Amino acid sequence: MEAGTSPVIELKNFRYTYLEGTPRAVEAIRDVSLEIHRGERVAIVGATQSGKSTLVDALVYLLRLGSGQVFYEGEDVTAPGYDRGKLRREIGVVFQSPDAQIVENIVGADVAFGPTAAGIPAEETRKRVEESLNAVGLSYPEYRLRYVHALSGGQRRRVAIAGVLAMRTPVLVLDEPTAGLDPRGRRELLDLLLNLRKERELTLVVCSAGLEEASLLCDRFVVLDAGKVVMDGPAREILRRSNRLAELDISLPETVNVASELKKIFPDFPTSLLTEEELEAEILKHLGAG
Amino acid sequence: MFELQRNVIFGQFVDTGSPVHRMDPRLKLAAAFVLIVASFLIDTFAGYALVLPLLVLIHVLSRVPFGYLLRGSRFFLGFLVFILVFQVLFYPGEVQPSNVLWSWGVLSVSTTGIRFAAIVGLRVLLLYYVTTMLMLTTSLVDLTNALELVFRPLQRLRVPVNEMVLVFVIAIKFVPIFIEEIERLAKAQTARGVPFDEGGAIKRARRIGRLLVPIFISGFNRADVLTTAMNVRSYRGGRGRTKLRRMHASAGDWTALVLIISWVLVAWQFPASGWL
Repeated sequence: MEAGTSPVIELKNFRYTYLEGTPRAVEAIRDVSLEIHRGERVAIVGATQSGKSTLVDALVYLLRLGSGQVFYEGEDVTAPGYDRGKLRREIGVVFQSPDAQIVENIVGADVAFGPTAAGIPAEETRKRVEESLNAVGLSYPEYRLRYVHALSGGQRRRVAIAGVLAMRTPVLVLDEPTAGLDPRGRRELLDLLLNLRKERELTLVVCSAGLEEASLLCDRFVVLDAGKVVMDGPAREILRRSNRLAELDISLPETVNVASELKKIFPDFPTSLLTEEELEAEILKHLGAG
Repeated sequence: MFELQRNVIFGQFVDTGSPVHRMDPRLKLAAAFVLIVASFLIDTFAGYALVLPLLVLIHVLSRVPFGYLLRGSRFFLGFLVFILVFQVLFYPGEVQPSNVLWSWGVLSVSTTGIRFAAIVGLRVLLLYYVTTMLMLTTSLVDLTNALELVFRPLQRLRVPVNEMVLVFVIAIKFVPIFIEEIERLAKAQTARGVPFDEGGAIKRARRIGRLLVPIFISGFNRADVLTTAMNVRSYRGGRGRTKLRRMHASAGDWTALVLIISWVLVAWQFPASGWL
């Protein structure tokens, strides 16, 4: 991120209470201030009920927002006359449950829905549908005329992601992208996202209850607890505080778990390891030293 | 659209632990029944005026925030006003020419029509208030048990009371679930470019059509899962089932019921003349 440029997304003292003014009110976000710059890859991490999904809803203005809390490219999204449609064409959101965001009954039609609604010409839309479906691993000729509700859960999630990809949004938000997928589907999805990250200049926001996939996709972690930001910083720095993370019920990557165990033997063993290669190197180093 | 749950209270239970909440559910059901019957019997303004203090008393005792009830009833109240306007305009009964205030073709406004519509409005309000308060102050478990006990005699006539009560309770329970589901769908679809939060009433209503297919599909799925869950736990209706919680009607509960019955009787029989 370049210093001095204004953040693409900014939350200022954002707070939100569900069912406000009723006896069943629940305070979901207590006070969150957050800046996300263009090109950043941010993981929003927290246990269930920590407010992740609420934060996602706020980014695209799907909640009752007070003024001066949520900014996109420096503009207050609640300002009168603000074009919410444009906001939603710039920030693509893949929600936790794919079924909720599938609008059409046929795969191809659903993926085409976003671009069509945005007024993109038919030929270009067709091209994007083909590209997006292929990107998520559903071959265009085979799947484009399938009935959405007859697909498996994992396939529906891919359709939902394809539908968002077809919008070519500069910002991509994924809420628990691998929840409910089997290990293979999970791996495939992660590969897909890693590819996307390489190919496009994306600003990526990933919500997750664990750091396993977050550490692969993102380089900055924002840790939420009970509606508040408790940690925010580069992935490695956050991983160093593995005890605190465990206290917050956040599952750690396997590499960090192994490293934490090794730390019991080698007190100076670092725990902030992102990849298996780094872990291997450290182990070799310590064995050599021992 | 995104805050339906905040604005719909049908089927909700708000536990304030008040005396109204603690009243024996069977007697509470009976009291609600008496008040519902009252809404059919009373047909004078004086009668409704007399019932009002009773409702205020119940409400204060229940400690359910009035603003919450009012906000949750907005849709309903709007609909009621809409219907009553038609009731006045198309009043079908005999109207003496001197009572007609305004007329145009088949439409007319007469004092007789207004009075009729106002009484109907009060009837519906009382009915609505009593059923809503019953739901707000009684947990579904209590309500189920009470309904089963009240209708138990019908079992002798081979009426499947437990099953019917269960169907009723599940139906009520599904309302908030569906509302939540609609909210979730509306949000997700808005993010994809169907603006549920923009446009006039008709445009908005049309977009709701988009939600119907997914709502039905998820509804059937839920019903399916529920059936499996019940089968797995060996549900077999009410036969041979015992209850962990026994109900106890206190002297206070009986007093409350008797008070409500007599209050309603007075309101019903209260001599009213002329406009009242």
